[in-house]
Amino acid sequence: MTRLRAALVRLAGGFGRMRREREWAAEFESHLQMHIDDNLRAGMSAEEARREALVKFGGVESVKESMRDRATFLWFDTTWQDIRYALRSLRRSSGFAITAILSLALGLGASLAVFTVADNLLVRPLPYRNASQLVMISEANPQRGFRHNDVSPGNFFDWKAQNDVFSGMAGLRESRSVLMDGDRAEEFGKQSVTADFFPLLGVQPVRGRLFTAEEDRSAASTDTLLLISYRLWQSWFGGDDNVIGRKVQVNAVPRTVIGVLPPGFYFLNREIDLWEPVGLNPAEDYRKTQGRWMTCVARMRPRATVGQSQAHMTALAARLETAHPEFNKNWTVEIEPLRDSMLRDRSVGADSAPVKTSLLVLLAAVGLMLAVACANVANLLLARYSSRRREIAVRASLGAGRGRVIRQLLTESLLLGLAGGICGVTLARWAVTGLLLLAPTNLTQSANIHVDSRIFVFAVGLSMLTGILFGIAPALVTSRSNLVDALRGDSRSSLGAGGHLRAWLVGAEIASSVVLLAGAMLLFRSLVGYQALNPGLDPSNVLTFRVSLPAARYEKIPQRTQFFASAIEQIEHLPGVRSASAVMYPPFSGPGFGTWVNIAGRPPAKPGEEILALIRTVMPGYFRTLRIPLKQGRDFTASDNLETSPYRFIVNQAFVRQVLRDEQALGKKINTLMETENPFGEIIGVVGDLREWSIDHEPIPTVYYSYAHLNFTSMIFLVRAERNPLSLSEPARRIIRGLDPAQPVAEIRTMEGILGENFSRQRLSAWLLSGFSIVALVLAGVGIYGVLAYSVTARTREFGVRAALGADSGRIIALVLKTGARPVIGGLVAGVAGALALAGLLKSLLFGIGPRDPLTFIAVPCLLAAVALIAAYLPARRAAHLEPMEALRTE
Amino acid sequence: MNEKADVRQGTLALMVLKTLQSLGPLHGYGIARRIEQTSGDRLSLNYGTVYPALLKLEQEGFIASEWGVSENNRQAKYYRLTRAGRGHLKKQERAWEETAAIMSRFLKPGEQAS
Repeated sequence: MTRLRAALVRLAGGFGRMRREREWAAEFESHLQMHIDDNLRAGMSAEEARREALVKFGGVESVKESMRDRATFLWFDTTWQDIRYALRSLRRSSGFAITAILSLALGLGASLAVFTVADNLLVRPLPYRNASQLVMISEANPQRGFRHNDVSPGNFFDWKAQNDVFSGMAGLRESRSVLMDGDRAEEFGKQSVTADFFPLLGVQPVRGRLFTAEEDRSAASTDTLLLISYRLWQSWFGGDDNVIGRKVQVNAVPRTVIGVLPPGFYFLNREIDLWEPVGLNPAEDYRKTQGRWMTCVARMRPRATVGQSQAHMTALAARLETAHPEFNKNWTVEIEPLRDSMLRDRSVGADSAPVKTSLLVLLAAVGLMLAVACANVANLLLARYSSRRREIAVRASLGAGRGRVIRQLLTESLLLGLAGGICGVTLARWAVTGLLLLAPTNLTQSANIHVDSRIFVFAVGLSMLTGILFGIAPALVTSRSNLVDALRGDSRSSLGAGGHLRAWLVGAEIASSVVLLAGAMLLFRSLVGYQALNPGLDPSNVLTFRVSLPAARYEKIPQRTQFFASAIEQIEHLPGVRSASAVMYPPFSGPGFGTWVNIAGRPPAKPGEEILALIRTVMPGYFRTLRIPLKQGRDFTASDNLETSPYRFIVNQAFVRQVLRDEQALGKKINTLMETENPFGEIIGVVGDLREWSIDHEPIPTVYYSYAHLNFTSMIFLVRAERNPLSLSEPARRIIRGLDPAQPVAEIRTMEGILGENFSRQRLSAWLLSGFSIVALVLAGVGIYGVLAYSVTARTREFGVRAALGADSGRIIALVLKTGARPVIGGLVAGVAGALALAGLLKSLLFGIGPRDPLTFIAVPCLLAAVALIAAYLPARRAAHLEPMEALRTE
Repeated sequence: MNEKADVRQGTLALMVLKTLQSLGPLHGYGIARRIEQTSGDRLSLNYGTVYPALLKLEQEGFIASEWGVSENNRQAKYYRLTRAGRGHLKKQERAWEETAAIMSRFLKPGEQAS
């Protein structure tokens, strides 16, 4: 306590120095006066009295000095002096300073950017009450390889009634709907949710109320309630409190707005503005009438673990499998924490590698790069200190203690760290923006990512730590050196501890660079593999947009068919349009619909062994527009697209191969369990396979319906243009408006854009890792150059002697290269070993190559060796071209 | 041997505290004088050295200071013991007596044997 108090007083003593000094002067003056008074009384002369008092006091200045030491911490007074000195000396060697700061800024900037993104996605709490208790429940069918399938409402209600590990369970489904208010109409994302959805998440509306379980049950018949987002309330309704009770239309059905949700509320998807009751009745058994289409979220009881809940639900699912074999054969349940589920990349397919893997790989990579940057700075500092030994020795011989010298050197590296940190934060801000452009949009749409003050503090802390850690080793090494040797400028002894340390640092830099480069090359080769892969269609120059017809106004199927057919016909007549069509969901754009298929003449499949096929409903001209090759038979025509025309199907080659086992497909009759009535229909055509969801598997068997037989109110238009497809979006929108003035057009994109989204995760990882490894490569090169350049300077005299004794330049070059070879070769070997060990982590991100791809592991060390050779050659050539006499005369 | 002893490390602070305890509030000059006199002039003390010691004690909270007027009408800074200082002094006195007792036993081994 006493010590702490004294320290605080001393710290405070750093301020008000002038006042303190004046007070001491006054106190000493009064002391001397009192002494003089006494001396005078004792009979001394005035002069003698004064002299005696001063002698007895013992040197006013030295007393003051020792009081100054006590009054404040010494460093407090001298730190500013250190800083000024450090700034001056850094300015003198600005090349060194810029290289060091740049190294740090690159390392910190990149790691901060990746850290920011990872922090937002992996660390930051989700905006729900006790979010760690929330889990997503999926159905799973291991036989078919489905791990995260949608949920059947029938099973959902049974889980809810029979489980005892969850305190609540809610279901939802996402769709898009047209909102109409007066004559305004726009398409928005909508979630249909069960009544306990909002209470489960712990969300209260900011205006109005939520709906009750009773209202949810009856919603299917009355269908009148609507909750809106805060954003929509502000933008569409101007934040008007009277919005509660307002009558609007959703898909041309009247609705009443009953509540506004809090700002920023979202669940899984930020692009949702409307919430409505899903309209399910727990008393009904939906297994008889509906498939699996719900998303299910549940809250675990306090202290329950995911493992326990999983075990319980697996047992429950087994009971339901026995109770309903016709529906649940081979189906079980998969539980996943909400955050993990949000990190899964939905666009590539339900079971793709989680984004978490990519992020963790990036974090590791960026850590390595930061390590390389730090090693580089340490290396530079060492080189710098070695060349300043004489200066330091002079300071030491003038009375600077070892601690003082170390402090001076540390101040310099701290300043460098700080400057690097500030540049790094600036860099990180740009980098985050760039990162988000490259990142998969479905990932970023559920997160709101920016560099915040926490990150800033983290960055400054990190940079200071870097400064201290990587300044202290060189400072210790340098300050320990022999004073006399240093003063004599004896360079022969200067390749001591510092030299070894630097060789180790270079080795470590090389090793890290090898690991980074190998990772980047593996990812890049995968990316090239993905992009070279024939997707099975021609995505160039295709415009896509969505039109969702309100079912209430387009009640009859012929009305809908008529609308889409005439829209397509008019669009095809636009100048610059080759062909147009529409499909229920475009390829490569997210999860698809699948169902069981029966083949006429074969006995029905046993439960659990049904044939699954992907279902797609198309307008005529679909295959021509996307240039999906027709292998056999013919395309749908307008006459197939009538409600009255017989059922006809087109299948893909995978269907023929896997389902028909290469039997003659044309003329074969099949049906699919898509609707309540499913008449058998003839196969009239076979088309090529698309490589969606199946980049590294077999293509999935697919059945194409003609629109009139399986119609949806919402369709995606596809327009093949001669050039620049986006220029057609306005004319197309005018055509849709011409057909129905209240009909909005949404999601205007190009097919290339949709396809690109599929690879965005791979692209992100590949580009980032490449960026990191290039930076690391440059830094490693600078490191090697620095070590050898320094060693050449230090050995100038030796080279001079050798040259004078007749060594030719080739021998001297070889000599220098040999000095550099050991850390380089050591680093290469360690790096290749490390990369081989770590490459397994990348496995789920690779495509077409193994994690031990031989080309990568040959090319990467060669590339690094080449860089090392160039970096080493420059100083070697300088050594070779030394004039012997000049060289001998140095020092 | 008439040579004066230097002030031993750490003992000056104790002397200052003891002086303030027996004489009450006092200025630096008075403290230095008193220490010299009490030692029977056997200590060689530069008066100035009491000031760093006073500063240290003040920082540690054992003494407090304020400006006042001396008996000869001079402005002077007066130091006085604080409550913490009194406690500290008591502890230090005991510790010192113990040390002194032990040391003297070591230095006079004959007595110890008896």
